[in-house]
Amino acid sequence: MKVNKESKLYTVIFSFVVTFVFVFVLAFLNMLTASNVQKSQEFFKIRAVLNALGITYNSYDDAKEKFQQLNKLQHNGSEIFVNTVDGKKVYAIIFHGSGLWGPIDGVLAVAEDLETIVGIDFITQNETPGLGGRIEERWFKDQFNGERIPQKLEISVSKTSDDKGDGRVDAISGATLTSKALEKILNDTLETLRTALRGGVKNE
Amino acid sequence: MSEFKKILKKNLWSENQVLVQILGICSTLAVTNRMLNTLIMTLGVSLVTGFSNLTISAIRSLIPRKVRMITQVLVIAFYVIIVDIILRAYVPEVSKALGPYVGLIITNCIIMGRAEAFAQGNPPILSFWDGLTAGLGYMWVLLTLAFIRELLGFGTVFGVKVLPSSFTPWTIMVMPPSAFFVLAVLIWVIRGFIIRSEIKFTGGEKK
Repeated sequence: MKVNKESKLYTVIFSFVVTFVFVFVLAFLNMLTASNVQKSQEFFKIRAVLNALGITYNSYDDAKEKFQQLNKLQHNGSEIFVNTVDGKKVYAIIFHGSGLWGPIDGVLAVAEDLETIVGIDFITQNETPGLGGRIEERWFKDQFNGERIPQKLEISVSKTSDDKGDGRVDAISGATLTSKALEKILNDTLETLRTALRGGVKNE
Repeated sequence: MSEFKKILKKNLWSENQVLVQILGICSTLAVTNRMLNTLIMTLGVSLVTGFSNLTISAIRSLIPRKVRMITQVLVIAFYVIIVDIILRAYVPEVSKALGPYVGLIITNCIIMGRAEAFAQGNPPILSFWDGLTAGLGYMWVLLTLAFIRELLGFGTVFGVKVLPSSFTPWTIMVMPPSAFFVLAVLIWVIRGFIIRSEIKFTGGEKK
């Protein structure tokens, strides 16, 4: 029997079968790799927290172990991790905010006085590669280390001298919108952290 | 010259997707500011073009004409998602660096162009070869562009600093508009070269 390829019935059946098969294979593959993906997502987060806190690690397991030793606080849905170095506490807060193109998630670590930044690292960002995407680069993140921010942080192009006390860091040329977005996110995060820790949070 | 060799030469040179057919320009503008990103992206495109050509060619006698294009898009999307899943699961670092670009492979006109123009009417293995080499033709052009843009925009090649630090990076080279200029100049030079060699070959007469 010869099948009429152009008949409506054949077209419908063909479309259905082809779509079903391809989607089935994809769903199957997705399921197979889901645990891997989740593991690496989690690792990105762990790594960002440790980097921001300035804790070194040499392997995945090492990082995981050190991460589990941190104290965890909860405040209005934001996660705060506490690390104690020489009797002094360092807080690392996970932030979520919108950048120029998509969400920017990361970790901001602040010393006990809630004014000195210890470190910063990003978990995910979708900024323009080569411009806004450079917030992931070392030189940019390193600027924050030890920066004192009594009031508000400013990410500014006019930053010149390397003064750690003025609450200003150098912006990325050509990525003004990302720099501004990040400035807002970090100020909001500092604000959240300050209200959380000065207001008293419950230990988990 | 065997069929395979002919296709290779066409796709890499005389009928290059980017230089001659001016396809895949959107991604050319977007990804060519870093060589590493360009390399991974074009590798993805080559594999996706190859395999989607192979699949479409293999089922081409079963596809009703009415849903021909839908089927092609489905197959292409299928392979792109596979590439994305593999990158996310096994090389998360790369997947993170590429961000949304992997998904954008679907919109690359070269893939659909090859599926429609070649795979619909040719046997599977030949179609696979055509897709793969079309991707490679795209790859070398984009890598050349990326080399120029990264060198002038960052002073680096594959992230390794090669120009002295006294060199002032050209910010324009990092931004998409520069790809227009660089690509246009590249097309001009290479097309000029191809036309000149054709004239020499045919003695100035039209083929």
